[in-house]
Amino acid sequence: MKKLLVVALALNFLVPAIAVAEEKAACPTEFVVYLDKNAKDNHYIPSGWMGDYGDIKMNDQAADNPHSGKTSIQFMYSAKKSQNQGWTGVYWLNPANNWGNKKGGYDLTGMTKLTFWARGAKGGEVIQKVMVGGVNGTYPDTASVEMGPIELTDTWKQYTVNLAGKDLSYINGGFNWSTTVDLNPEGATFYIDDIKFEADPDLKPEGKKQEAMPFYIYADRTTVANHFIPSGYMGDYGDLRYDGASKDDAYLGDTCIKMTYSGKGSQGARWAGIFWQYPANNWGGVDSGFDLSKATKLTFWARGAKGGERIEEFKIGGVMGEFSDSDSATIGPVLLNKEWMQYTIDLKGKDMSYIIGGFAWSANVDNNPDGAIFYLDEIKLEE
Amino acid sequence: MRLSSKNKNRGKAGGRVSFVWRTVPLLLFIFILSACQSKQGVYIQKLKNQHYRLIVNGSPYIVKGVCYNPIPRGLNHEYDWWSDPNKPWIVDGKLMKEMGVNTIRLYQTHDNPEEVRQVIRDLYNLYGIRTFLGDWLGFWEYPCPFYGDKKFQDKVKRQVLEMVALYKDEPGVLGWILGNENNYSCLGHVKPWSSEEVDQELDPQKQKAMRAKIYYSFVNDISKEIHKIDPKHPVGLGNGELVGLEYANEFCQDVDFVACIIYRGKTFGNLFKSLKMTFDKPILLAEFGADCYDAYLKKEDQNMQAFFLESQWKQIYKNLANNKEGAGNCIGGTMFEWTDEWWKHTPDNPETWKIQDTESGWSNGSYYFDIRAQNNMNMNEEWFGIVALGEPLENATPAGGQGLDKRIPRKAYYVVKEFWKNPVIKKSGGKK
Repeated sequence: MKKLLVVALALNFLVPAIAVAEEKAACPTEFVVYLDKNAKDNHYIPSGWMGDYGDIKMNDQAADNPHSGKTSIQFMYSAKKSQNQGWTGVYWLNPANNWGNKKGGYDLTGMTKLTFWARGAKGGEVIQKVMVGGVNGTYPDTASVEMGPIELTDTWKQYTVNLAGKDLSYINGGFNWSTTVDLNPEGATFYIDDIKFEADPDLKPEGKKQEAMPFYIYADRTTVANHFIPSGYMGDYGDLRYDGASKDDAYLGDTCIKMTYSGKGSQGARWAGIFWQYPANNWGGVDSGFDLSKATKLTFWARGAKGGERIEEFKIGGVMGEFSDSDSATIGPVLLNKEWMQYTIDLKGKDMSYIIGGFAWSANVDNNPDGAIFYLDEIKLEE
Repeated sequence: MRLSSKNKNRGKAGGRVSFVWRTVPLLLFIFILSACQSKQGVYIQKLKNQHYRLIVNGSPYIVKGVCYNPIPRGLNHEYDWWSDPNKPWIVDGKLMKEMGVNTIRLYQTHDNPEEVRQVIRDLYNLYGIRTFLGDWLGFWEYPCPFYGDKKFQDKVKRQVLEMVALYKDEPGVLGWILGNENNYSCLGHVKPWSSEEVDQELDPQKQKAMRAKIYYSFVNDISKEIHKIDPKHPVGLGNGELVGLEYANEFCQDVDFVACIIYRGKTFGNLFKSLKMTFDKPILLAEFGADCYDAYLKKEDQNMQAFFLESQWKQIYKNLANNKEGAGNCIGGTMFEWTDEWWKHTPDNPETWKIQDTESGWSNGSYYFDIRAQNNMNMNEEWFGIVALGEPLENATPAGGQGLDKRIPRKAYYVVKEFWKNPVIKKSGGKK
């Protein structure tokens, strides 16, 4: 009887203790992506190489000054445009190379942020953005959150992606970075370490912020402040050549954009144009519009190589998809001068609260039978 | 009998009372008569909160409509359905009424006024369905509509006013819609036209503005003339998207509403607010909708069409008058369209009119379920019907070489019907 009593008493103490342990196990406070090479807690594989993947070299056991432990991950980006894309990036996927065609996502419910440490080899290297989730496919991620651009320093610095309030119940793309040639024309070497999800109950969800003005689409080739990517080639896209680093008499700064439209009708459309999108190639399939409500006008400078080149339309907004731009505004047709001239798209009364397509132009062969070369510079939204 | 003084007094008082009692009914009758008279007809009412609504014979009216062009399988747009002995509108009207449709939109009337009257009357008398009558304003003239030419303008205007004079007294007529997407011709995108004056201007932006001024002033002129002969029906300006309406604001203030053609997928976006800022007139969604063919999976997908249409109707209702969440400037819509039209993809090849073409004719990312189709070509012009066409009905009289095609309501028919019965406006989801 006494023995039974002792057992019962012991159970009385033990049961709550076990329950607490189970509760702790159910609510971990962190989930590691990378600590050290071969660390047992690591999750996801940096296997999703994108864009100019031939430009990237990765060393996931760089012993040169890791942030903690014995190794960090070194990325060497040559910016040679091996696949002629102008951008590149790496996704950490589970299992390796799973772009959502099979189940592999983790339930990270309870985590409220992703943190990582990064440094550049020299300082000044630019990561255009980092991202959590965002993998589509048959088994799509339940969230897509991004942060950036980040200009690295030559010393370790911690960065945070706020995930509070996001549905993290299925995340197959644990982490991703991407950048462009324009932001790193000479390439970049940088290091990443200690990537992990963390549960911080005090962190509040980040509201959609109204972007401050001026909001640049293009200032200079290497400007971190540039937004949107000239990725939406339309019509006779084979007729187009984009040079975002032209030094042919830039209006301001070192470079301007040189557009060459051959007018050959490569795809038989007899017209062509480019949309600046965010992220690249987003035709409304990704929920990522900027809130540009503070803007009352979009201004840009333009000139023709000869003068007389006719652009049918300059435009902001108007991307239509599952996530459509909230409005659009245009000017045109415009006959370009040989000298730089500033043009303005009036946005008063327009709803610029959700914009994926930051800028666009289109021209046709009927009005440019010999094609057209023209230049653009200082494209920005202003208050 | 002599009256006592008391009675006299009462009599005097009674005389006043009886005068009042005699007068009040008369005044009441006059008041009711004048009230009834003021309530007759169709007009736009602007409310104190700056919202708009359509009033029909004194009551608010939400346009729950369809675009109607019942071309049988195997025939094309030249087919004279107005004289079809099967009277397709009788069969269609019954189905429409059951669905909740109260309005059809006809793009153009027909040469035979009696046949036009018959269609309008049958739909109205049998099913209570009203009709918007339209005119293309010479848009399909070859080689182009010469809106800058006075003779052309006079010809078109005469034609429109004849239509108004012929049908303005039909109780089933709801109003007039001038043009469809004619504004695009001012940009030179389709049916480009010019004039000597325009040609002299070298700046293409100014050319566009000049053409817009000519076109919208012309429509305004017609609208004013219509109001003179028919004050009882509103006049709508057919317009592709909101393109050019900043010029309409300047030159076309005499139209009563804008009849917009909009294909923006599940949402109309900022359309209603944007219109309020640009051209503060009520809006009828005169053409909108979705096809039901998945160009990516290459099969019919009625769920896709139903999803888009339900979402679009939610937006329409959200922006009706007195809904605080919307712009309050929408008066309803006529969705595109009642039946499939099998001739549309290759209008010049009669052989293809007998089969329902599955090749897409254009691309629109707003209809995102099948945008991954080859070359992003996802819009299937022959599959927009709320009802599909099937083998002819057994007892139908042969017309145009065949009987009346069977009407097969698609899922959208039932989904929109349910929505109209119980219009709950909640945020639309992203799934079919």
